[in-house]
Amino acid sequence: MNSLLIQGLLNGLILGAIYGLIGLGLNIVYGVLRVVNFAHGEFLVIGAYFAWVLLQYLGINPLLALPISFVVFFGVGYLLYFLLVPRMSKSDDPETSSLLLMFGVSIALSATLLLVFEADSRTLEFAIEPVFLSFGQIILPTIRLVALLISVLLVAALAYFLYRTQVGKALRAIIMNKDAVSIVGINAERLSGVAFGLGIALAAATGVIVALVFPAFSPFMGNDYTLIGFVVIVLGGLGHPIGALIGALLYGVTEQVAAVYFNPSIATILGFSLMIAMIFIRPSGLLGQRQLR
Amino acid sequence: MLTVRNLRKSFGGLQALAGVDITLPDESILGVIGMNGSGKTTMLNCINGIYIPDSGDIALDGASLLGLPVHEVAGRGVGRTFQVPRVFQHLSLLDNLDVAQTGSAAGNDDRYALSEYWLKKVELLRLRHNYAEELSGGQQKLLELARIMVARPKVILLDEPFAGVNPQLAQMLIGIISEIASRHHCAVILVSHDLTSIYQLSHHIIVMNEGAILTQGDAATVKSDPAVIEAYLGA
Repeated sequence: MNSLLIQGLLNGLILGAIYGLIGLGLNIVYGVLRVVNFAHGEFLVIGAYFAWVLLQYLGINPLLALPISFVVFFGVGYLLYFLLVPRMSKSDDPETSSLLLMFGVSIALSATLLLVFEADSRTLEFAIEPVFLSFGQIILPTIRLVALLISVLLVAALAYFLYRTQVGKALRAIIMNKDAVSIVGINAERLSGVAFGLGIALAAATGVIVALVFPAFSPFMGNDYTLIGFVVIVLGGLGHPIGALIGALLYGVTEQVAAVYFNPSIATILGFSLMIAMIFIRPSGLLGQRQLR
Repeated sequence: MLTVRNLRKSFGGLQALAGVDITLPDESILGVIGMNGSGKTTMLNCINGIYIPDSGDIALDGASLLGLPVHEVAGRGVGRTFQVPRVFQHLSLLDNLDVAQTGSAAGNDDRYALSEYWLKKVELLRLRHNYAEELSGGQQKLLELARIMVARPKVILLDEPFAGVNPQLAQMLIGIISEIASRHHCAVILVSHDLTSIYQLSHHIIVMNEGAILTQGDAATVKSDPAVIEAYLGA
């Protein structure tokens, strides 16, 4: 295996892990609430700006900004849930309404970012020494490896939360049967708020990672990340958190390995072709039928 | 003690409950029988908060349950099972029971021990790590019963627990329900078409017809009531 291919695979793994976090957040919100969160990418970009503001004005290290953003945006998401979702669930078609509402929220958030930060791209002025690490002929930016480590830790923490804690199990249970969760004495509305808060917190934390890994970010990037999130959850299985992770790795590796050999546009086409092929071959995604085991 | 007073519920022009009164002492089993559409399940749905009654009152130990959401009624000590069990299909049996103890202050070990106790009681302990979807319909009913019992309810509402259950499981279920009332100090409302089980288990029986109580009493009284024989037993 030549070094270019290995480099492509490693880059795919790193980006796949980041895309996985995007898909995880989207899938938790969709799985629990059946809300198609079209504003997920905007919350991610807000997370990136949040880290930038903390670094620029308060001198807070972005690695510290990451847990801060998670906590702050969990609270924001939890409150936003009660503002937006319960009313929406009373409409005739809550799923379509959620898509339209969150699309509107995404436009509003993007416009607000533009108003506050203007159209110029921003960069997180932060580096870890040495800037690059070389393994034989393979050279990788250190920050990307750190981002991979953080992403893996976040996924592990989330998996622990979902599979080992009572609230996490209840979140998986509510995806399976919302009525039954109420019948065993759990406040389904409050639990739904936790799910929405968790989704938004994951988006914002991923935004901090994105700001670390990519050279620049702007108010216009939200839709791109939302789109990537939808691609990976279609690949992995709608509503399935672990499926999103597998879909993301598949998408990230395909995109990055293709970028080694072809024009970047072809790499993008291949990534999306993978999604279209999945819809034709296995419409429920890789883990869609296995639900939440 | 659970008390239901003058409970009324209509759906459009259809009166599903037309003034039902029940007094359910602690540790007692109330059998409820009646034709399909007589209002049995509607009554259970009103008691556990799925439906809001048009009028009347429901109180547990003197505190009204009226207007409380389903999870709060459960939190006050009213457990409920359904004709088609509503278990969490893709969670293990242990996790099904653990979710039902979410509000509990007990530690992991105590919760686990309680879950194992009830899984053993319903003879599902050896399957504790299996997913609920792997159980038969009858076993899922047993799991649902164990799931409400780990929450230590004061009253349980059982809707057709014997429907679709093989005779062996049904016999075991009869023993468990009897023990729930006597040993676990829990009152039971048992809705069933299985008259043999109702007669065997119930301290008191009500017969419902068109949303109202047609007659009530012990098994012998109900069996011999001419109105019941005509309207329900058909003999």
